[in-house]
Amino acid sequence: MKNKGMQISAFRLGAIAVMAIGLASASLTSVSADSTPTFGTKCTTEGASTGTSTTSLICQKGDNGALKWARVRISSNRQTPVPALHANSGTIEFHHWRAEDKAVFADIIAKFEAANPGTHIVQVIESSNDYTNLAFSQIKGNPKSAIFVTSRGGQFTQFYNGGLLRDLSNERFVKSNVISSALTPGIVDGKVYGVPYQSLFNDPIYNADMFAKNGWSVPKNWTSLLAFCKTVKAAGIIPFAWPAATRGNAGQIMNSFLMNSAPDLATLTSRIAAIDTGKADLTQPWFTDIATKYQQMNTAGCFPSNVTGYNDTVAPADFASGKAAIYPTGTFGMSTVTNLNPAMKGKMKIMSLITVDTKPLYEGITNNTFILHVNAKSSSRDQNIARAFLSFLTTADIAQEYAVGTSQHVSIVNVDYSANIDLLNTSDIMGKKLLLAPRFLFNNVTTVRNPLEDALIAIGGGADITKTLTDTSKTIKQGLGA
Amino acid sequence: MALPAVAIYSFLYLYPAISNLLYSTQRWDGVTKAQFVGLHNFKYLATSDDLFHKIVANNFRFSFVVVILQTLFSLMFAIFLLKNTKANIFLRTLFFFPTILSSVSVGLIWTFLYNPNFGFINASLKAIGLNKLALNWLSDGRYSLYSIAIAQIWFHTGQMIVIYLAGLQQIPAELYEAADVDGATRWQQFRNITWPMALPTTAVVVAYTTIQTFRAFDLVYAMTQGGPMNSSDLIVTSIYNMAFGAYKFGYASAESVVLVVVVLVITWIQRRTLRVDYGSR
Repeated sequence: MKNKGMQISAFRLGAIAVMAIGLASASLTSVSADSTPTFGTKCTTEGASTGTSTTSLICQKGDNGALKWARVRISSNRQTPVPALHANSGTIEFHHWRAEDKAVFADIIAKFEAANPGTHIVQVIESSNDYTNLAFSQIKGNPKSAIFVTSRGGQFTQFYNGGLLRDLSNERFVKSNVISSALTPGIVDGKVYGVPYQSLFNDPIYNADMFAKNGWSVPKNWTSLLAFCKTVKAAGIIPFAWPAATRGNAGQIMNSFLMNSAPDLATLTSRIAAIDTGKADLTQPWFTDIATKYQQMNTAGCFPSNVTGYNDTVAPADFASGKAAIYPTGTFGMSTVTNLNPAMKGKMKIMSLITVDTKPLYEGITNNTFILHVNAKSSSRDQNIARAFLSFLTTADIAQEYAVGTSQHVSIVNVDYSANIDLLNTSDIMGKKLLLAPRFLFNNVTTVRNPLEDALIAIGGGADITKTLTDTSKTIKQGLGA
Repeated sequence: MALPAVAIYSFLYLYPAISNLLYSTQRWDGVTKAQFVGLHNFKYLATSDDLFHKIVANNFRFSFVVVILQTLFSLMFAIFLLKNTKANIFLRTLFFFPTILSSVSVGLIWTFLYNPNFGFINASLKAIGLNKLALNWLSDGRYSLYSIAIAQIWFHTGQMIVIYLAGLQQIPAELYEAADVDGATRWQQFRNITWPMALPTTAVVVAYTTIQTFRAFDLVYAMTQGGPMNSSDLIVTSIYNMAFGAYKFGYASAESVVLVVVVLVITWIQRRTLRVDYGSR
């Protein structure tokens, strides 16, 4: 009885603590002048942040290990934001694959059209697979598609090589409204050819409420992660709701496996490039080690029993209903979870998936879902409408509307996330050392990345490492040689 | 008079076909200038591309299963539904119903049915104690191809029933009446009257189904996208991936030329085997 009483007390204390932290982090943006966090002063709750505007601060450990308020890194742009450009009349098409953003974009477009009478923007939306495969030929042959999106990596390169990307380097709204560090994926040879709009974090989301209730702590290294899986599985909970049957989402954890797999970024980049060009096999020790870790996770019970049949319909449902502790996709998955179970709102936090026992090089993954471009082949009149719409999207109010409406962070300065508790709760990842998702360094998606990810999925499901990697290496090399 | 028809045919059929043949001799990514490589693409396909060989083998297995089962089921159902009773007319409509659905919808329906976590098939198997048979139908490389084949059969059998019904209704009723008088059993009537008389229809059904299976794309794309590990990849999905995924349009064109040759050869063999003389009909 005493133990039960203690458990209840501990539970209550935990719940009170979680509520207190939640309330504290939610109210940090409106604290009184006396308690307003100041840059460089001491703080008590690691990860607490005041938002992600240009003046936002985050509580993190300094070089001496002490907690202090530091600048939110993602909002390091020091320019003064500029208003949107004015558009001439006319109609253009906006091509993208974000069907889930259709309604939010429709509202934003309505506001843009109201501010620019006689201007019309038509959304042309395709599934992400069709967009990956067909967008280039469709947009190339249709100059009315004056504004469109690309994915970082292969697709961006394809459009760049096709001469479809207008140089935006001298646009004031790009220089002043976009977080400068977030522009990287849209830059070639120092010139800006696109605005990476949505900032997301491809790191596992965990049920903070469940962790607190069970007294679990977030694993900080590989050994503790495997031990964590055993503990959670023993409690009858799926540790990682890994949607292995859906390649696109299953591949997200590969980012985390890659981020600390090499001694430095240059080595990692060159190793990925060697595989991507067929110069190296997957059977090399570096990649075999990564594959072995997938197998170890499987052996430790981290994944559900029939993981290769576990898709991205079941995984978020299990996470949302409390059957799984961690949903290892990224911040973009939170809206799906809250749609499935609104009670999950405010209960999710983001964690680093550390696959080493030594000091990690990186603590998290970031990426831009899509990059916005102006079609260089469109008429100058249509390009002007596209530029104006792009500038409209980069204004803080509109970006905030997009961020809150889609439950995603954006790469625009002065956006206030306090209206969305989940965005605020996960913004602490911005204070960590992040790597731009390395998964997208594989430019040959069909011939290299897809078979490679299939191999890791198979190994995560229990397939033999040597045979799977040998067979896949052969497939990759032959595909590249075709 | 024939000139407009020839012009339209040339523009819509001949020109794309010849273009495809030309692309198959080139290395072209769709953006940069195409480079003539002669028969290199075909040589590589034949000698170096093990994945393509696996995909062709997949397609033959898929075709074999679908042609046999779909022809068998459609003939069987057509015989059962031959009489124009109200129940049969209703059942014909019911069997034909999947044909009018979009292939993506059919793919989604079967993906849900096969889902190992909440799908109807595994739930039913578990409910009757056959837990060992509750498999990862689409995610296990051993079953994915055959699982799609079943969906394909479900999707197209109704269409073939209609073709068979048209063929079977042409068989003179007097033949069956004479057979009844002679005391022939149902099986003897089927073997000696129905089957030989339905042979030309069977040839059409088999040829059409074969072509259908070698052109199969939509169901595979909707259900597995060729995975896992290419276990359900077929020639057309490979062509699509090669062209619009890897941007190897020349190589994809070479694959499509191979596809045409394969279908031509198989159809020719089938016609010879079934010995159908269309000219005498």
